[in-house]
Amino acid sequence: MTEAWIWPPGLPGPSAHVRRRAGDLALRHPAPEAGKPEALLAALRNGHRDLAAIPSGDLVRLVGAAAETLTVEIGSAGIQEVAANARLSSPMTRVILDGMAASWNTDALDRLVRTEFPDPRALDGFVAETEPRAGESTDASAKRRVRAAAPPVTLHFGAGSVPGVSVTSMIRALLVKSAVLVKPGAGDIALTVRFARLLHRADPRLAGAAAVQYWPGGAPQWESWERGLLTGADQVVVQGSGATIEAIRARAPASTRLIEHPHRIGVAIVDPVGAPGAVASTARAAALFDQRGCVSTHLVLLLSGRDLAAHWCGELAASLAATATALPAGPSTPGELSARRQLEGRVAMKAAASPAIRLWPSDGAGWSVVLGPSEAFEPGGGRTVWVVQVADPEGALGVLSSLSPVLQTVGLAGLDGRAGFAEALYSLGATRIVPLDRVPFPEADWFHDGSRPLRELVRWGELR
Amino acid sequence: MPDELLPEIAEVTDELLLLFRQAGAGLDRHGAFDSLALRVHAAQRVCNPVLSRFWGAASPDEPSAWHEIPPVPVQAFREVPIVAGSAEVVFRTSGTTGGAGRRGEHHVASLELYRAAARNNYRRHLFGGAAMLDVISLVPSPATVPDSSLATMSGFIAREPEVARTTWAFHPGRGVDLDAFREAAAAAVSDRRPILLLSTAFALVQLLDGLGRERSRLPEGSRIMETGGFKGRAIEMDQATLYGRAERTLGVPRSHIVNEYGMTEMLSQAYDHVAGEGRRTSERVLRFPPWVRTRALDPADLAALPPGRPGLLAHFDLANAASVCHLLTEDYGHTTEDGGVRLLGRAPGAELRGCSLAAESFLRALGRGAGARAATS
Repeated sequence: MTEAWIWPPGLPGPSAHVRRRAGDLALRHPAPEAGKPEALLAALRNGHRDLAAIPSGDLVRLVGAAAETLTVEIGSAGIQEVAANARLSSPMTRVILDGMAASWNTDALDRLVRTEFPDPRALDGFVAETEPRAGESTDASAKRRVRAAAPPVTLHFGAGSVPGVSVTSMIRALLVKSAVLVKPGAGDIALTVRFARLLHRADPRLAGAAAVQYWPGGAPQWESWERGLLTGADQVVVQGSGATIEAIRARAPASTRLIEHPHRIGVAIVDPVGAPGAVASTARAAALFDQRGCVSTHLVLLLSGRDLAAHWCGELAASLAATATALPAGPSTPGELSARRQLEGRVAMKAAASPAIRLWPSDGAGWSVVLGPSEAFEPGGGRTVWVVQVADPEGALGVLSSLSPVLQTVGLAGLDGRAGFAEALYSLGATRIVPLDRVPFPEADWFHDGSRPLRELVRWGELR
Repeated sequence: MPDELLPEIAEVTDELLLLFRQAGAGLDRHGAFDSLALRVHAAQRVCNPVLSRFWGAASPDEPSAWHEIPPVPVQAFREVPIVAGSAEVVFRTSGTTGGAGRRGEHHVASLELYRAAARNNYRRHLFGGAAMLDVISLVPSPATVPDSSLATMSGFIAREPEVARTTWAFHPGRGVDLDAFREAAAAAVSDRRPILLLSTAFALVQLLDGLGRERSRLPEGSRIMETGGFKGRAIEMDQATLYGRAERTLGVPRSHIVNEYGMTEMLSQAYDHVAGEGRRTSERVLRFPPWVRTRALDPADLAALPPGRPGLLAHFDLANAASVCHLLTEDYGHTTEDGGVRLLGRAPGAELRGCSLAAESFLRALGRGAGARAATS
């Protein structure tokens, strides 16, 4: 039985629990009436004082060490627990954890903090601003001292079933000295609690400032609990669907700062002539996270003629089949299998009706490749890759113009991100333009949906 | 038969019309269903090149039995008109729940065939023991919603010779018309005629909520046809609670409340018992007419499952001769040893999502969303 919660020490434990399954994992968490949101927030607010006193450099080392311990200590039983929770295969879970952990280690976190704050001591107290502002001399700039810190308590609502998303969010909050309560996504509970336990073990000051609790978000019996947290927290980070974000917006008071990360889709633009390895990179970018990540590639814009596109799709299908052996898909529920059957049937009927559409199905293995016009595209999930043939980069931009509201990561293969093209992609809404093989795992300092990951959490102060 | 039917289909649908009017007599003979199913399949392949290509891609083998014909997933009805010839009417799914994009469309080539497939069955399950009755429909009238298969069937019912008066007491925009209901119920009481109340589960809840504590006892012998569910609605209620409330408020015993299962993509319906029969609700199973075969399929490989094992329901409905007979639904359930079907709802386990955009949200974000199908419409 996995405990789906961990509170700061000293806070009385819950008087009752609810047992449930999350993915294929049996777990328990406090019952809705078994804890008071005010008490939990007060404990975290109390813990914030000690957290804020830790020098930034020490904090990086403490949190980084805990994250490094996580990947070392987790072992095969831990991987299986995380995999069962996320309903991913164990090999996939291991690859995901290793990939994400690269952005959690001490070096990566140190780089992140230094990238975001040229003088990280600004997180500890007022420091002289290091860079002059436009129109001011260096001397004038030095007259201003600046300070940055997140508010005392951040509440994080995690999304779905990608393990590691909530750990990343927790790390970010702690690095800017905000005590944090994480409600992980239903499939991201095991890893988040495991990491929080390591934080608690690492240092009592972290223990007082880090809490995790799962509850079924939006459920009627949790309404009072959620309202209490939304009212009492200083800021709320929400990663979720449009409906989730709207529901939280509707209940959070104006005084609570909201930071939103809605769901996205990933796109690849590939010139197959210039990138013979793009097939394997595409398969990997679609397969990792079983296509559940916001960075996951769903749509490929292929710069080619029709015949070459069909040939490329056949190779992609073969590569997805091979990837399915190396990185097996997680177990599927009847509902997921049903949805996949319906999707494949719809595409097969489209293909039967139009020679412009071709389908490479996997016959139950969970992946599929579709070659067709852009207006037919919709994300299918479960490793479904839609390939749209375009004549040139301008054609790719034309397709992407209709996807602006949901764009985030664009992976390039066989094309360079030359300034004009990158500028056009950015104008359309892409906030991360990277080589295709680097799509799955963003660096620690990536601009998450166009925001700096630490700076979006802090408020600045100036002293003149 | 309308002129628009292609000759190959017209020939077999003439035969089906006769068969349906005779309640499917003879279909239980060994090989009779298979023989007819394969003839319909052959005619559909000739008349509908899209379907022919779909089946060709799904399986290169020529089927030798009805269950070897690859089923068409119901969402395929959203993509292309599936019809042999031209449609006399197009039924559309109501677009209330998950899935993607546009509404499903069932292009129906012959309303006469639809009526024949539905009629024998609804008469047997809903009309028993009533010489004359009044219909109160909480399903919108076919004039109001001409693209609803359920409204069209309600229109068929209203035209039955035993129906003295029909009151349409539901409007898609305004919901249940309580005044119309009260007036019609009072008239039936006055005339001592039982009422056949046609309703979706959602509308029935609306009616009961609207009546509140008011008791509106319907005349003895009244019966209710309840269909659909609550998919995508703000309220949900289990069937036992709903029937208990209906019994208390309307005075219609559970033995007279009949559950109907139908879908836009399918012209035949199933009922869970005959109105007035004393079967307990927990013992009821859905039964289709003999021209429908149902299997529960393993969602992983679409292998047929034995009775009692739940899976995705696939129906083969000969009444769909002019569109497509073999349908893979999104419903989850199992068959019973005696040929019944127990519906368990949608296949369990919502699709796992992380922070990647789901199709429905994607289409909404891009202003292309409309919704999906309802169980009945």
